[in-house]
Amino acid sequence: MAANVESSPFFQSQRAKGCIVVKDPPKFDLESYISNYDGQTRLDRLYHIGASSTYLAVDAYRMAIKEAKKGKDTKLYLALVEDFANIAPQDPLALTDMSWVERKNREVKEEQDKLEHELKSYKNNLIKESIRMGNEDLGHFYYAIGDLSNAHKAYYRMREHCTSNKHLTDMSLRLVYVSIAQKAWMGAQSHLAKIDAAGKGDDKTKLEPIVSAVLGLTHMGAGNLREAANSFIGTSPNYLSLEATAGIVWQREVVSGNDIAVYGGLCALATMERSELQQFVLANSDFRNFLELEPHIRRAITLFCNSKYSACLEVLEGYRTDYLLDVYLSRVLATIYSRIRTKSIVQYFIPFSCVTLDEMATKFQLTGEYGSIEEELEDMINSRILDARIDLVDRLLISPPTNPRYSVHADALHMAEDYDHTLRLRLTRLNLLSAGLEVRAEKGQGKESSGGLQEGLSASLRGFGSRMGF
Amino acid sequence: MAGEVLAHLLEFQPSAPEVQQKREYDAAARQFVAKVSNISHPHFLKGAETSGDVLEILHPESNSIAYIFALHARISALSDAKFQKGIPDQLRPGGYIWNKVENFMQNFDPVQVRYVGQEWRRLMDYLERVARLMGSPGVAISPIRSGLLRLDPLSGTFTLTHLYFIRLCMETRSYTAALPILDNYISSLPSTLPAAILQGMEYSSPSANHVVSGEYIHAKSGHTDKITMADVQEYYVLGAMAYLGLSQFNKAKQFLEHALVAPANNVANGLMLEAYKKWVLLSCLVDGTIKGLPRTANTAAIKQIRTSSKAYEALADAYTQLRNLPKLKAQINAGKDLWAEDGNTGLVKELLEQQQKLYISWLSRTYSAIPVTNFAGNLGLTKDELTGKLEELINKGQLNATIQRSGAGDILRFFLDPTQGPLAKTETQQQQALYEQTQRTNLLAEQVKSADYRLSLTKEYIEHIKRQNKKMAANASGEPMDTTWDDGMEAEEDLMGDLH
Repeated sequence: MAANVESSPFFQSQRAKGCIVVKDPPKFDLESYISNYDGQTRLDRLYHIGASSTYLAVDAYRMAIKEAKKGKDTKLYLALVEDFANIAPQDPLALTDMSWVERKNREVKEEQDKLEHELKSYKNNLIKESIRMGNEDLGHFYYAIGDLSNAHKAYYRMREHCTSNKHLTDMSLRLVYVSIAQKAWMGAQSHLAKIDAAGKGDDKTKLEPIVSAVLGLTHMGAGNLREAANSFIGTSPNYLSLEATAGIVWQREVVSGNDIAVYGGLCALATMERSELQQFVLANSDFRNFLELEPHIRRAITLFCNSKYSACLEVLEGYRTDYLLDVYLSRVLATIYSRIRTKSIVQYFIPFSCVTLDEMATKFQLTGEYGSIEEELEDMINSRILDARIDLVDRLLISPPTNPRYSVHADALHMAEDYDHTLRLRLTRLNLLSAGLEVRAEKGQGKESSGGLQEGLSASLRGFGSRMGF
Repeated sequence: MAGEVLAHLLEFQPSAPEVQQKREYDAAARQFVAKVSNISHPHFLKGAETSGDVLEILHPESNSIAYIFALHARISALSDAKFQKGIPDQLRPGGYIWNKVENFMQNFDPVQVRYVGQEWRRLMDYLERVARLMGSPGVAISPIRSGLLRLDPLSGTFTLTHLYFIRLCMETRSYTAALPILDNYISSLPSTLPAAILQGMEYSSPSANHVVSGEYIHAKSGHTDKITMADVQEYYVLGAMAYLGLSQFNKAKQFLEHALVAPANNVANGLMLEAYKKWVLLSCLVDGTIKGLPRTANTAAIKQIRTSSKAYEALADAYTQLRNLPKLKAQINAGKDLWAEDGNTGLVKELLEQQQKLYISWLSRTYSAIPVTNFAGNLGLTKDELTGKLEELINKGQLNATIQRSGAGDILRFFLDPTQGPLAKTETQQQQALYEQTQRTNLLAEQVKSADYRLSLTKEYIEHIKRQNKKMAANASGEPMDTTWDDGMEAEEDLMGDLH
């Protein structure tokens, strides 16, 4: 079965497109994993797992197709079935249920007409609150049928009809929600900033955890790992028990507490120094609540802080498959892992003046990105991450001796020469200016004149270089 | 030779007690120049080539002013200014007069010659013209150089003679001979100084002790004709080429930058284009990559230049791609005709040579030891060729490494500590270098001060100060400060009245 799935036309084309395809079975159980989520993200996650894991593809697609049929998004349903038909053509769910699609399409059309009609009549009556709600309904509707850009527009139209702060924050939260579904991280960030700026009093304590968790997610999506880590580890544990805000249960429909632990922990590992990790992550009583949900992340961070880099990497490596199947993490996972790895190597090497390459190779098992540890180290040295030299003859990694006194002298000399020269150039220019000399275009010829002059000059100088005898 | 004339000629004695004050010296020297220039030529010719010859009686150092006039009288008597009738033997290199001129150039009194700039320049012209007409421009190099250095040991004020000198050197490919002049920074250009400060003032008359020659070589002193932008730029471009000929790439690059920072009214000229092309290549040779141009360069002009030197930038780009060594060769071949046309073939070839060096020094940033065979292939050399090359580099002191011979093959081992290996500098050497740099900087500070002083004498500056003061006065109106500023302003105006 698994072999079949792996060589199915769908995964072949996925590989050809350069998408991530995972063969190994993950550590989690699909049923219990997905039961943590509700709403759109549930489908999204199932779809991602189905399209990435050959091991779980069949189960994930089955669940996704069943899930999709409960909703109104026919386009998504059709896409899912098409993919599934390429994976397991003989499965009953791989056949398109056209009658359902047609019925749904009709219903959707009717509902859309109805909502638009209602909105129109509200507008005629000029009642702000009604117009706002009309737009909101339309937004919910577009969101449900998967038309995210129209949903965004509809929500956005609510702005001028909002009458209270609560309306405004609800609208912004909705916009954030849509932006995340669109994976438009920058947009989500700007809406979050507005919420953050507007929130006051009671609202603030309720909104603050959502803002920081979602901000972390958007930073991670945009690849700003350090900011992401800061946002995640600053998230208050209240997040886990929040009630629905703006009609969204954030910890089930966007990121769960477990996700925050994983995302936050990994981003922190990738970007923080050991002392920072100790201070801001392990000793952080707020974040501890999250870390308890994912003990292995806690363990990895502790190991890193205790300088047991290879053990730390081993733990993380064990969960690589799981994280690749996470819809948000899969894109940045390679960056995060390689950052942690290079950081570990750098940290590991600091106390030594010289380590054999074989020792390095056993301490840091290759991940398949490089052919040998030399190549990886070479790359790190070339990109100036690691300050070391490789001795290919005795197979050693050597820390170059430093001589601060010498380098200060050399730097001073170099700088003085630089300034000296710059000053001379300025003085030359000043002299030329004060003597009233300037390069000017010759009258009526403009650009041609410089060309003509150039020719005349090249003619007179032609062959100078070759005659100079080198 | 009439004794009376001779008495006149010996009248001015720089060591006489009555001219020890600079002011008196100045006045006396001016008077003397006026007097001597009125003596008609036949007087100088009396007794020529006998023991009574003026040139024998007068001493080139103590009687420089009289001597220079005598030389001119003799030259013009022997031939017309353009040498249309051919050059008489006496004037040819090695002839009697030529030798006298050469001797004069080595020995004249620099202070006296400050008063006879025009005559000094004419002598320089004579040397150059005769050497050229004789078909051996090289013979003029040495006397012109001593003339320049004698007048101003730092040769820091640009004159047309500088340009003629470097042209002569380039034509005869005597690059080393040009160095004593090229190594001196041009710290000033002949500017127009107000007449009032040049005469009769103790510290600014030409006879005063000046650190910077810009204060006695100026537009009116006669040492040079009017200078144009192209003259200055040509000097720098030719100078850079002389340095190139000597493989002093860094100095060459710095010279080109001087040509490139020239103030421009948003247009470039051919010399700048020429300079930029060479600059791109040199920048690669010196720094291994294109560093930014000096910020003072005119951006619009540079843009213009860059659009017409794309090929060079592509070449520089290929040069920095150390992981793709054959690319540079391909680029060089592709633009062969272009390099030849621009006269840069030699430089481009040098680029290819240097890339190997760059590659090896790049290796030293990653490895402390590497078997030679590991990278011989990358450079397209056999193992033995590469070993030979490396040894050559090490011996020349361009690579801080050693070659270890072992049974398995040769190993290149870099010295990690900058204080070890053949290229290491001891602390004393470093200190020496720092000390020398301090000296240079101090001198530069003097030159800047002098430039500042000269600039503060210009009309524009004084008008600017006037405006500033007015503004200040307007701002501070009503306060007691007001009057004092007004006073200051009037004083300025008085000064202006004197000057013009």
